[in-house]
Amino acid sequence: MAAEAPVDFAALQSLLKASSKDVVRQLCQESFSSSALGSKKLLDITCSSLSVTQEEADQLIRSLHRLTRLVAYRDLTAGEEILALFPENFHQNLKNLLTKIIMEHVPAWRKEAQANQISLPRLVDLDWRVDVKMASDSITRMAVPTCLLQMKIQEDASLCGDKPAISAVTMELSKETLDTMLDGLGRIRDQLSAVANK
Amino acid sequence: MEELCQPPLEAKSEVTNKLLDLQWKMGMAVSSDNCRSLKSPYVALMLKVADQSGQITNKSFEMTIPQFQHFFKQFKEMAAVIETV
Repeated sequence: MAAEAPVDFAALQSLLKASSKDVVRQLCQESFSSSALGSKKLLDITCSSLSVTQEEADQLIRSLHRLTRLVAYRDLTAGEEILALFPENFHQNLKNLLTKIIMEHVPAWRKEAQANQISLPRLVDLDWRVDVKMASDSITRMAVPTCLLQMKIQEDASLCGDKPAISAVTMELSKETLDTMLDGLGRIRDQLSAVANK
Repeated sequence: MEELCQPPLEAKSEVTNKLLDLQWKMGMAVSSDNCRSLKSPYVALMLKVADQSGQITNKSFEMTIPQFQHFFKQFKEMAAVIETV
């Protein structure tokens, strides 16, 4: 939500109780996800693996979520930029470890953030078939080539949570319509080239 | 291929929907609540589709550039095939 929300760095100190660097790495990854903040499962796992109270685990997850989201938002890729986020008296080793982990994950997190940002629905599948119409209820004999097309469109994932709805639309295109469609798409392609060359 | 019979009226598309119109735009996402600075081009399409009763629905969706190129390629394939039947 608020990408620049303040990070409670003190809460990150709970990570000092982690048994290994992998535990820290795992927590960073899990906390980035948009489902991290409501997740009872993540809360419980954090409590037990770090031996902290629910309260402390909640604050830790919240802080890690904000920190990782902040870095993705600003696209901080350099070590110095990430180190600069921490307060002066922060535990040196933990700071270095977190910076290293974050640097490794920023590109993947940016990709995930972009994939999940609001958008129009997305085309997930396109199937087609060319037929020859031989007859219909109004005309008994003909040989009209026609194209049957089915598009599967998935609603915006960020609106529908885990199970975004997929709707299928099937349509029939005559040769003329198909040619007109191709013209239109060709124009988009031309525009893309024009923009790319600027 | 020689047409056996040229229908005076267009054969009714009773079975599926008919594509009436295609509208498009190209845009560039510059920023979002997740990523302050983006340079992410996309193509958005809106298809106007009529069902057998004449009811019109609009189907909108967006694609990244590689997705659009694949989309375009498939239409070119369809056009090539329809020429041969």
